[in-house]
Amino acid sequence: MYKNPTKTNAKKILLIGGGETDFGLQGETDVAIYQVIPLLKKMGYQPYVLDDNPYALSLESTVAETVIAPLTVTAVQSLIQKEGIEAVLPVFGGRRAVRLWGQVLSDWQDERNGFQPETLGLPVQTVQDVRDGRALMERLALAELPILEAEAASSSAEANQFLRDYGLPLVIRAHHPKVGNTQRIVDRLDDFDQAIEQVRAQSLTNDVLISRAINGMKEVSLLVARDQRGNTLQIGASEDMDPIGIHSSDSLSVAPVLTVADRVLEEMRSQAFLAAEVLGVQGFLHVQFAFDEKTDALYIIKVAPYLDLVASRLALVTGYPAMLVGVQLALGLPITAVTLPQSYHQKLAMMEPVMDHIAVKLPIFSFGDLAAAGVTVNRQLGSIQKSVGSALGFGRTFIEALEKAIRAAHFNNRSFSPEFMDRLTDDELIQQLIHPQDNRVLLLIEALRRGYEVDELSELTDIDEFYFYQLQRLIAIQQKIEAAPGNQQMLQIGKESGLSDGLIARFWQRDFQTIRAQGQLADILPTYKALEPTAGEFPEHAHQYYATFESENESSQLGQQSVLIVGAGAFRMGDGAAAGYVLTVALAELRRLNYQTIVLNNSAADASLLPHLSDKQYLEPLETSDVMAVVDQEAPQAILVPGNRRKLIDALQKLGQTVFVLPKEKHQPDGPDSNQSEFNLSFFYDGQRTYPLALTQHRQGELRLLKNTIPADFLADLQPQQPGFYQIIWRRPVFAWQKQVPMPDLSTDAWLRPMPYGHLAYLSKVLGLPLVRYLIRALVGQLSPADQEQLLAAQTMPQKPLAMVAGRSDFALHLQPDQVIDATRFEMGPRLVAFEQED
Amino acid sequence: MTRHLILEDGTVFAGEGFGSPATTFGEIIFDTAMVGYQETITNPIYDGQMIVFAMPVVGADGIHAEAYESIAPKVRGVIVHDLAEVSTNRQRRMNLDRFLKQHNVPGICQVDTRQLIRHLRETGPQKATIVDVVDDHAFDQLNATVLTNKQVQNTATPKAYANPGHGFHIIVIDFGLKHGILRILGEYDANVTVLPYSTTVDEVLTLDPDGIILSTGPGNPEDLPESVLTLIRVLQTKAPLLGVGLGHELFALANGASLQALPAEYHGMNHPIQEIISQQIFYARQGRGYVVDWHSLNANKLFATHRDLVDDSIQGLRHRDFPAFSVQFFPDGAPGPLEASVIITDFFETVADYVQESN
Repeated sequence: MYKNPTKTNAKKILLIGGGETDFGLQGETDVAIYQVIPLLKKMGYQPYVLDDNPYALSLESTVAETVIAPLTVTAVQSLIQKEGIEAVLPVFGGRRAVRLWGQVLSDWQDERNGFQPETLGLPVQTVQDVRDGRALMERLALAELPILEAEAASSSAEANQFLRDYGLPLVIRAHHPKVGNTQRIVDRLDDFDQAIEQVRAQSLTNDVLISRAINGMKEVSLLVARDQRGNTLQIGASEDMDPIGIHSSDSLSVAPVLTVADRVLEEMRSQAFLAAEVLGVQGFLHVQFAFDEKTDALYIIKVAPYLDLVASRLALVTGYPAMLVGVQLALGLPITAVTLPQSYHQKLAMMEPVMDHIAVKLPIFSFGDLAAAGVTVNRQLGSIQKSVGSALGFGRTFIEALEKAIRAAHFNNRSFSPEFMDRLTDDELIQQLIHPQDNRVLLLIEALRRGYEVDELSELTDIDEFYFYQLQRLIAIQQKIEAAPGNQQMLQIGKESGLSDGLIARFWQRDFQTIRAQGQLADILPTYKALEPTAGEFPEHAHQYYATFESENESSQLGQQSVLIVGAGAFRMGDGAAAGYVLTVALAELRRLNYQTIVLNNSAADASLLPHLSDKQYLEPLETSDVMAVVDQEAPQAILVPGNRRKLIDALQKLGQTVFVLPKEKHQPDGPDSNQSEFNLSFFYDGQRTYPLALTQHRQGELRLLKNTIPADFLADLQPQQPGFYQIIWRRPVFAWQKQVPMPDLSTDAWLRPMPYGHLAYLSKVLGLPLVRYLIRALVGQLSPADQEQLLAAQTMPQKPLAMVAGRSDFALHLQPDQVIDATRFEMGPRLVAFEQED
Repeated sequence: MTRHLILEDGTVFAGEGFGSPATTFGEIIFDTAMVGYQETITNPIYDGQMIVFAMPVVGADGIHAEAYESIAPKVRGVIVHDLAEVSTNRQRRMNLDRFLKQHNVPGICQVDTRQLIRHLRETGPQKATIVDVVDDHAFDQLNATVLTNKQVQNTATPKAYANPGHGFHIIVIDFGLKHGILRILGEYDANVTVLPYSTTVDEVLTLDPDGIILSTGPGNPEDLPESVLTLIRVLQTKAPLLGVGLGHELFALANGASLQALPAEYHGMNHPIQEIISQQIFYARQGRGYVVDWHSLNANKLFATHRDLVDDSIQGLRHRDFPAFSVQFFPDGAPGPLEASVIITDFFETVADYVQESN
């Protein structure tokens, strides 16, 4: 295995990381890099990883040389020179990494920088063109691929000319954008000037690109792969329920594509293949299409010759090992020579994945969390992304997958309650149908309940009739269930439709345990189906499963020694990204300790679902009934649960299960006000004694290490309920960065809390200690004397002078909040930044 | 209403009936393609068969005028997990359920199709029936049923007809032609005459063809009369010839090769097909129960041009002496990838050369 000749002769390969998470960046780049570096190592390369994301797992990899440094031209250049890097693979770091590499290449001077490393995965020209979206599109246009004509305008006068020529609606996006891919769709004259100004500010060159808007068309994404010989294959495709005009990330998406005819999909496929050819892609390419059903017009609206969320999601939902294939294609292997670990069918890389399940992605909005903190934001969905994450639901029908996605997204938002829907007037309903908000799906259901016709609604919303027919079915099912409390057949139908015990219990006004007991008695039990990419054609080596209610259960108990890890679920604001980090390290440690590991999770960009990290993965919502069902199936020795899931922990303990808790607060921790500092004394409790680790100062937007040495006996009297990482917190009206601070009086002005996962990831990196692993060892009684010694010496270890700085998320652009959002509290993702530490 | 699918080996699946309420018998096979249910259901190659769709939701795109591969489906049954009732027809509220009712084809949904496919991949195709009641009578009926081997007679045209154009004159010999072939010939503006498979050499040559296509079709090619093979042996020496699907199998038989029945049929579009000379791969719709045996190729007559890289089956053949070749897969897509249409381009290039040389 892994002995195929590749095209590159390079030994040392740099993978540029994706940096901080943000709107549209959920850590998928780190997960991909973390997955491919062991393969690169095995193939005889020396991988290097550069990143500044404190939650990056790849930065703690033992097979790669890792460098924590800002993602800047200087950092990349000096790393290349210092280490003698021979090739650079930027595509797994996403758009940000490709653009950075393009900048490095344009600045490159052989006499100053030495020999220029080879670029893997993309031709240099394409790397350069990624920096200028229009250049990419123009290359496609030269190949006669259908794109929307766009013109650049650098003044209001030029923009107004375009307005006169084409009329509204228009799409305005930044030419040479500074950061994301922001675009505005303008359909009211009043908004035009403001939109031009807003978008111009996003452009490095201070000009905008204007094109005709294609609102209302169907949006379809294809992911294709291409090798250096020009062989192309389709990995997957998904369609958005919401039409163009609503940002794709804010749309409900379905894979596989359900409502587009074969002849149209085949045309998209041919165009995507041609686009991959034109751009010289060696790896994968995500192509986004707009399709007008009335005129059959088809446009390519976006190409992403790098890893993005759609690519990582389609890889997960099809079960195709896209990252392992993609990296080998980037190295120059033909698709026919790609090898995969033994757990895959030998020929799988060459087979286009086929799905016999439905995967629904729902966006997650943070409006509720923000409202709870007193921040009001603009909830109306449009062409600028507002969602902060996403959740997946898997099933064998659209309804089942939808219901499971809704449950996975864990809506606890006021606007989702039926009473709220009842209060809407018909006018408000129509207004919200035309100008959708985060509660889109419930609103559509409400409209159907009130008797609006499917064709009217489809006309009004530009949503395919299929979805309305499906929602009508869902309404009918729910009404039937409500009307027949306790009916066994209705229970069966409810479960088949993806409803949880909890929801059925609410319909029947009973306790959820009653429903669960009834289901067990009547043998209405989930049947787990393998998630694999051949739709049953070949005997599968399956590790991934989802639940449905049919006749055959393909999952059998993994073993007597298994530990079930309940994931953190959907990515969301706050330390959501950090939870993925913590659980993945926990998983890796349990595995190292020879436990069989089973993961239950549902986020597409979560490392804990990587197939090589655990023995078995269940892609399920994380409600109590879902967890219980997997517990019944697997009878694990112990269950590892994040501490914020109190109800679940209680329920499991009541059933006599062994539960390991990873302490975590139920709600988003509060932060310091703008004129004060919060001090965090972090320590570890192994169940018997406490180990002080470090003292940090937290100001809005930044967290730094202090020089204090915490006296060993200071914490002696503290005995938290269970092993874990904790913090003593106090606040002072100081703003300047401190060197040392006096210890607080524990009895009066300080309080104790579980350490936020983000701090845990940060401290692991700056202290250079595998903190999460110590906790796991303590939980399973395997914390060694050597570990204890290391923990006791934590304060004397050299610390990396890195601050954790809030990400640069543009909340004003995305959410238009009525006040400044504290980005350390509602973080989208921080980064590590060096600071001057005084001695 | 609840209906049952019974397999010859005694396996029973309960589900919900749709389409025609009749009792039906056929040979059950499965299809892993995720798109093109209407094209697949109306493809005449499925004459006498019952199709299980791996794609869990079927019907979500309605029934389209552009998606017919024959006027009426010849399939004996449609088995899906979740039936979607969507109509896209402006005149009538035609959805998949009504379409199958109209054409008297029974369907059954809410079946654990994944379990069924995992079963069928081991057993291979077998007889099956969809009935209302599972009882001894149903099993007896199924066991007593002898499936027809006259599928080509059932489905192919009994009479010649024209599909005029201004380009090359192409004769299509119909063994159960799917519309995709006519559609793609239309793209070349070919002047097409479709002849029944019982046609004679004289009838073909009288029409002075620029090229000849042996169409796709259902069933076992060895059930067709020897006269068909004789016809092919003569025609391949007279004008460029392309065999597709069943036409490929007949072309192989006519040139001394033999066929093997597959342990489990393959119906899908996700296997890589390699063009042997260039090593390039592409994907195409496949629907096959038979493959040409590698060992039976007479090296003086035929050589393989394409193979399936998953099961290493022969996917294309070429005659050493004549401008005659054939492919096992469907170069017209419908449903399926368009990249395989280069076969049709090749054919028209061969036709153009022939026309130039013979004028």
